[in-house]
Amino acid sequence: MASADSRRMANGGSVGGAFQPHLDSLRQELQQRDPTLLSAVVALLAVLLTLVFWKFIRSRRSSQRAVLLVGLCDSGKTLLFVRLLTGLYRDTQTSITDSSAVYRVNNTRATSLTLIDLPGHESLRLQFLERFKASARAVVFVVDSAAFQREVKDVAEFLYQVLIDSMSLKNTPSFLIACNKQDITMAKSAKLIQQQLEKELNTLRVTRSAAPSTLDSSSTAPAQLGKKGKEFEFSQLPLKVEFLECSAKGGRGDAGSADIQDLEKWLAKIA
Amino acid sequence: MLDFFTIFSKGGLVLWCFQGVSDSCTGPVNALIRSVLLQERGGNNSFTHEALTLKYKLDNQFELVFVVGFQKILTLTYVDKLIDDVHRLFRDKYRTEIQQQSALSLLNGTFDFQNDFLRLLREAEESSKIRAPTTMKKFEDSEKAKKPVRSMIETRGEKPKEKAKNSKKKGAKKESSDGSLATSKAVPAEKSGLPVGPEHGVELSKEELIRRKREEFIQKHGRGLEKSSKSTKSDAPKEKGKKAPRVWALGGCANKEVLDYSTPTTNGAPEVAPPEDINLIRGTGPGGQLQDLDCSSSDDEVTTQNATKPSATKGTLGGMFGMLKGLVGSKSLSREDMESVLDKMRDHLIAKNVAADIAVQLCESVANKLEGKVMGTFSTVTSTVKQALQESLVQILQPQRRVDMLRDIMDAQRHQRPYVVTFCGVNGVGKSTNLAKISFWLLENGFSVLIAACDTFRAGAVEQLRTHTRRLSALHPPENHGGRTMVQLFEKGYGKDAAGIAMEAIAFARNQGFDVVLVDTAGRMQDNAPLMTALAKLITVNTPDLVLFVGEALVGNEAVDQLVKFNRALADHSMAQTPRLIDGIVLTKFDTIDDKVGAAISMTYITSKPIVFVGTGQTYCDLRSLNAKAVVAALMKA
Repeated sequence: MASADSRRMANGGSVGGAFQPHLDSLRQELQQRDPTLLSAVVALLAVLLTLVFWKFIRSRRSSQRAVLLVGLCDSGKTLLFVRLLTGLYRDTQTSITDSSAVYRVNNTRATSLTLIDLPGHESLRLQFLERFKASARAVVFVVDSAAFQREVKDVAEFLYQVLIDSMSLKNTPSFLIACNKQDITMAKSAKLIQQQLEKELNTLRVTRSAAPSTLDSSSTAPAQLGKKGKEFEFSQLPLKVEFLECSAKGGRGDAGSADIQDLEKWLAKIA
Repeated sequence: MLDFFTIFSKGGLVLWCFQGVSDSCTGPVNALIRSVLLQERGGNNSFTHEALTLKYKLDNQFELVFVVGFQKILTLTYVDKLIDDVHRLFRDKYRTEIQQQSALSLLNGTFDFQNDFLRLLREAEESSKIRAPTTMKKFEDSEKAKKPVRSMIETRGEKPKEKAKNSKKKGAKKESSDGSLATSKAVPAEKSGLPVGPEHGVELSKEELIRRKREEFIQKHGRGLEKSSKSTKSDAPKEKGKKAPRVWALGGCANKEVLDYSTPTTNGAPEVAPPEDINLIRGTGPGGQLQDLDCSSSDDEVTTQNATKPSATKGTLGGMFGMLKGLVGSKSLSREDMESVLDKMRDHLIAKNVAADIAVQLCESVANKLEGKVMGTFSTVTSTVKQALQESLVQILQPQRRVDMLRDIMDAQRHQRPYVVTFCGVNGVGKSTNLAKISFWLLENGFSVLIAACDTFRAGAVEQLRTHTRRLSALHPPENHGGRTMVQLFEKGYGKDAAGIAMEAIAFARNQGFDVVLVDTAGRMQDNAPLMTALAKLITVNTPDLVLFVGEALVGNEAVDQLVKFNRALADHSMAQTPRLIDGIVLTKFDTIDDKVGAAISMTYITSKPIVFVGTGQTYCDLRSLNAKAVVAALMKA
């Protein structure tokens, strides 16, 4: 009854005036109620708020802490993953699912990152990328330098996909292209790989935008990589893309250590 | 005897490896992973790769894979049991290490399994060794020795009875009904005059035998039999008379008048049916109009709904408790839990036009992948299975090789040779129409196209392509492209050899500098062996860059048959080491199916080749590329 009157009054009055009678009526009602019930309600509200707050904090903390290892099949992602975590050599097979582990960066602050190794097989890689790209702080694209000449087009296509996906994210992750398998004599250098990829991506962005549209043409127009008129260069992207060489297997094979100091330094830098 | 045994995690780390031979095991295992596990063919658990047979087992709870490899020529019977034993032992021994979420525990743990494995292998091998041949029983141990001698003393008359009894025991079931036949057989035997002593003796005592058997039978089965067996006997002499209705010996005492439902007819003329019956027969409604299709279909839906509703209400109460139990706490999935959900999913897929055996195989593979998996706290069995099925469907539709025709054409341009595409398929799927659409798309992107009319059989095929060429020429006249003819038709009329025309067309294109050659072939049924040979010859001789199979989206189970037979024909008639098979699929008439998009799944599953284009209409702009997620969403939609 009282609330109905107050509401009528509120409708007539201004916004500031509307609150006061409402609060009065609320206080009146609360005083009428049982104090134990009131405290129970308050406690429940407090618990709910804490839960929501905690979840928010946790998601905030775990997001943006992941480093994704992506690349074609057989490029050495899983071995790189193992080397970074333990420094040992292990035999590996084609991955079917992702593996993740916490990695302690050796810098002054001793922060930790979550390394996630995604499978490279064609049928799986886009699915897993979709799943993990939101939490990515950095993406390491592993390239097989020895087989690069043969696989240029496939590497470029996957790289194109990853770049497009990364650019559409809210906080663009740092990008690193790790030219793996440098221990093999026929391995190409990072400079050469960069030039080849730029040339390939230049052609690719023309052909990909010219492809027939997908079935549900509700999808947005494909994003453009780099500037339209000029030749494609990695520096044109809004992402920070770096190249470096590494060798997961190491110079002396199973027994020796891997040649991944540059990679570790880069991880320390972005952490 | 085993070549190797590997245990590795699904993330790719090899936890333990046993190598009986010096060859590395990575190659065959990678092949196994790529062809079986990743292509959702995980129904049966064995796979052959070159000279090896690989058997595998998935542990979905701890994300491990157990693989054993041995020579194909050996047939080892203990392998399955060995894998199970090893799985159990490994899981129990290293439970703490493999239970962790993080990969660090797997990396840091040492898996010293060699001794245990060798022990299990030894046990398995011993258990499968050929058992020593069983020694024959001595006479004293046999049953015959236990019988008293008196029972075996026979007089001359009874001795054949003993023999007859033994031989009759084999056909004991047919005894009473055969009785009459036997007696009738006795008559011709006597007539032929074969002086076979014991046989004669057997026939003579058969009456007595029958009587004795009948007594036993009556004791067992009651009175009703007597009459029928008596009637059998009485019928036998009357066999040559009028034809009596067949009376079965065990058929009870049915009265034959009751069973005769035929109305008396005069000279076999049919009765005149009352007028309303004719209408029902003709299938028209009460007003004489044909019933609308919608009405009947809605009736069906209503009846099926009513049928399912009672079963649903019956199951809800039990299902509710089960669901609540399943919601809270983590339980591992077993096959029985998934059985009903998988059945429903399979029927759903089949209703969406996925080929039947492929739906079965898919569900098998999903069951294999989920067995033993621990579900999260708030997921039901249905949701887990649906999620897994969705993932595997998306996985199937992802292309295994690059799908970028324009890029490859640019490559061919650089090498100054034309890019040759061949279209093959059965009759009436839309090869010529989609060829025209694709040439329009290529023209829009600035490539010059030569259309080779290698369909020399169908009436009007060449004229159809000529019309398309004329229209495309009008859209892209030479003036717009610097005097260069962008599209041209190469034809040699009807009745000629298609492979020869294709070869001439490619040579012409190379001379004139055309970028792409699109070869249109005649439609042919997959069972037509000479035509399939001709197609295989065309492809082998001309080695096109891309062989596209054109299939319509309306096709159902036929898709499997078509693709398998086309691929087989191409493989059989090719001389090369690695024969040219179908490289891609064009899915046509996609606008005619609303959401029954199962044909896409069937085709990609069979060939594991990508769907390159999707045709959605009959105008030049109706060419699309496949969007895997949209197709899977349409497929999983209720």
